[in-house]
Formats: sequence, C-alpha cells, structure tokens
Amino acid sequence: MNESFRDCSGRKVISRATAKHLGDVSHFLVDAEQRRVAAVFIGRGKNVRLVEWAQVSGFGPDAVMVADGDSLRPPGDDRERDTAEGKLELVGKRVLSERGNELGKVDDVTFDAGSGALKDLVIGDRRLPAGSLLGIGSYAVVLDDDQSSAG
Amino acid sequence: MTASQIRGLPVVTVRGGEDVAEVRDVIYSPEAGRLVGLTLNKRGFLAGRSREVLPAEAIHAIGEHAVMVLDDSSLVAAEDASDDVGHPDTERYVVGNDVLTEGGASLGAVADLVLLVGSSGEVVGYQIDKTGGGRGYIPLPAQLSVSGVALVVPNITEEFVHDDLVGLGASVDEFRNRLGLT
Repeated sequence: MNESFRDCSGRKVISRATAKHLGDVSHFLVDAEQRRVAAVFIGRGKNVRLVEWAQVSGFGPDAVMVADGDSLRPPGDDRERDTAEGKLELVGKRVLSERGNELGKVDDVTFDAGSGALKDLVIGDRRLPAGSLLGIGSYAVVLDDDQSSAG
Repeated sequence: MTASQIRGLPVVTVRGGEDVAEVRDVIYSPEAGRLVGLTLNKRGFLAGRSREVLPAEAIHAIGEHAVMVLDDSSLVAAEDASDDVGHPDTERYVVGNDVLTEGGASLGAVADLVLLVGSSGEVVGYQIDKTGGGRGYIPLPAQLSVSGVALVVPNITEEFVHDDLVGLGASVDEFRNRLGLT
C-alpha cells in the first residue's frame, strides 16, 4: 500500500509490547542511493528519537507499530541530526535537475508502506519516479531530469 | 546564458544536494573559446572570497539556477590547480576589448560572454556593445588574435552580428562552416 510523507506526518507511533503511545512521526530519513526510507523520526526538539526502517514492525494507516520502546534511539550521526532538525526534510525542498535548472519544490513523496521503497516525488502537477533521485541535501534535492527548458 | 548570469549562482553537489560555494567570477580562455574554471565565494555566514577554485573539467553542468558538481572534491585549492585556473592572467579577459575586423572596422566592445547552456563552459559567442549603439552578438570562434585591449576577428564576422541570442544560436554552425571549421 502506498503512503505519502505528508499523510504520515503526525501519525502515532505505538509499542506493540506495551501498546503505549511513544510519540508522533515528525520526519523521514531517506537513503538517496537506495531510494528508500531509512528511518522514521518521532517527536521534535530535544526529545527526538528515531526508529530504523528495519525495526518498524508495521506501517499502518492509523499507527506505526514498533516492537517496544527500545526500538527507538536518539540521532547518532550528522545526517540523522540534520534530519531531526528538519534540514533534510523533502517536503518543501527546492528541486534542481542535475543540469542546474530549478524544477520547483517537493510537495509530497509517496512510498510503499511495506518495503519503505520510494515511489514518486510530487512536484507541482508533475510526478517524477523516485528512480530519478540523485542526491538530497540541505540546499536541494537533485534529480536526473532534463525536461526543464534551457534558455 | 551569459557569463554575468553565472556570477552569484550557487555551486551545488549532485550527490549531496549541498550548496558548497557560490560563483565569484568566470576564468575564460579566449584561445580555447571556453571557460577554464570558476573562482568562488563562500556561502552563508562565512561569505567572502574562497581560496578554492572550480576547474572546468570538474563542472558537471552550468544551469540557469546552479552550477552542478558531483561532490565537494570537485573544488580544489587555487595553489593545487593548473596555472591557467589557479593564477589566471587577467590581461586575457576579453570584456571591454575592442572588436576589430581584419579590415580595420570596429564592430564594438565585448560586453559579455555567451555560454552554451547545460555545458561545462563552452563559449559560443560574445555579447558586444555595437559601435553604432545597441547590443549585438557575434559567434565564436571569433578572434584571430587577442591582446587584452582588442580582438581581431575575420572580416565575415561583420555579416554575423545578431541582435539577439536566438539569431546567434542559429548562426553559429553557418559561421563555422564559412570559416571552414566544420
């Protein structure tokens, strides 16, 4: 089943072991090379925690299930810290083609809730396959796309 | 697009999506008819001249909104770059030079360089302030010789002065045919 970053923002994260509400989805860390969700971030600010995609036991329409509270950990490296601070947030980010032309801003990203594989990037009225993704940084998302006109 | 439109563009990594520098100026080789590199400014709070330069061979593409490089290893310290990039000879910069035909007629003064969009810095023509007034464009390869004060161009260049970039683009191949270059 396909989900989207926008739809999932704020979704509850629940411990399967205790049925406790551990927090709400705040950000996604994307592996640009593998074109998949690498981790789901929960909460904001000082209390931000993440769960690696492999530790997500069920990504459902109403809740994200994890084994227990131990599945969550604080950000460990620069990329995870930048994600926690929203610097790598895809939704709203500037999109550049690898030719150096701006294509717009990311409105949404769709992914497979089972595998975490990215499907499409929604940019205005266009949907570009995640396969065109080359890099994600604080400045821009870079795509292999040259339909933008040159002048 | 023109060289002056490149100044101030961010330099962005394809693999990282990070803006690693900003274009300060172009380094142009009139003999080669192309950019040989870019000088850089730092981005953000550390703004100011960067000690690093971007050699043309490390440019992935020059676009309307950014100069793309593969990753930040594309930027090299000026002292580690080849001399034409690390220590460019400003005398060879053509902007302001008088454009003279072999026959001794002045077509105008070079105002800007016209680049092939999406390339790594191929220069296809010059924008000139025409001697009779107004802007014009002449195709490259133009100069037979260049001194830092004037360029001497073939007489037929006079027939290829265009008022806009579209006309220039359409005429580059014909111009090169006439010069026996293709």
